[in-house]
Amino acid sequence: MSIAPLSDDQRDALQEITNIAMGQAGASLAGILDTFVNLSVPRINILEVVQVADSIGRLVGHDKEVTAVRQSFQGYLRGEAIVIYGQDGCKDLADLMGYDEDLDGAAEQELLLDVANVLVGACLGGISEQLRGIVDQPGTELSFCAPSIMAECAPVDTLINPDNLSWTHALLMEVNFTLEERNFISHIVMLMPEDAIDKVRGVIDQFIASF
Amino acid sequence: MARKMLIKALPASWDVEISQAGNGVEAMEAYRAGKAAVMFLDLTMPVMDGYQVLEALQSEDLNSFVIVISADIQPIAQQRVKDLGAIAFVKKPVTSEVLEEVLRKYGVL
Repeated sequence: MSIAPLSDDQRDALQEITNIAMGQAGASLAGILDTFVNLSVPRINILEVVQVADSIGRLVGHDKEVTAVRQSFQGYLRGEAIVIYGQDGCKDLADLMGYDEDLDGAAEQELLLDVANVLVGACLGGISEQLRGIVDQPGTELSFCAPSIMAECAPVDTLINPDNLSWTHALLMEVNFTLEERNFISHIVMLMPEDAIDKVRGVIDQFIASF
Repeated sequence: MARKMLIKALPASWDVEISQAGNGVEAMEAYRAGKAAVMFLDLTMPVMDGYQVLEALQSEDLNSFVIVISADIQPIAQQRVKDLGAIAFVKKPVTSEVLEEVLRKYGVL
């Protein structure tokens, strides 16, 4: 089964909506860490699930080991958000938040989960808030499951196993956050199944038509 | 899209010629061509970002009212662009009310 790629206009509009949402996510992160967060231009793509792992590998570097947190969401849109941290991510985070050097495993995981939760919530909250303004219909709320660690110091190429995903395509929305004078980098990736992609496409078309 | 959203929010009665730039390099070209008495500047852009545009404008005597329109709502970002010579910071999504208020405040409208 194949799904139509996004048109240039659709990609452009989704990029701008994501940009605004990520701005809110970045501000939340900056508030927690009390430091300035650099945001990238969002990259938006519809991919076959088998391409997702490769695409993430290209973002992060195929030889890299990463730690990742997943959080699923449902409601108006359905899918999964994955926050990927570079190897030094956790140490730098702990440092910024004023923990001492010896953060134990459990505390470290909790920190990564908390940060992921803030990023995902702000990002999807921002997107759904804007979509609500466009479609003007009830029931555009999203609910979130608790985030969980999906990989710890694992090679990036093993992160996404297509056999474990129940859909064939994904809407990949990718932004990265870097902190000044730190090695910290994190990527946030949204995966959505076909029906949610179609919904997004419909709303985006309305959005484009309103200008 | 960001540009369409902005243009739609500009006051309808404002009699101006609008030039669009897809990145900072194009913005600087328009500025040097004398097409930017007022510049609405995004921060997150490919090729040359908004901070770099502000720096370039400063080194070229900043003969333009620069209003930064950005999704990056960190207080530090707002302070930085003002330090770099922007007259105002408007957060996205931009509304016509806020834009009109800013333009009036600085006497551009």
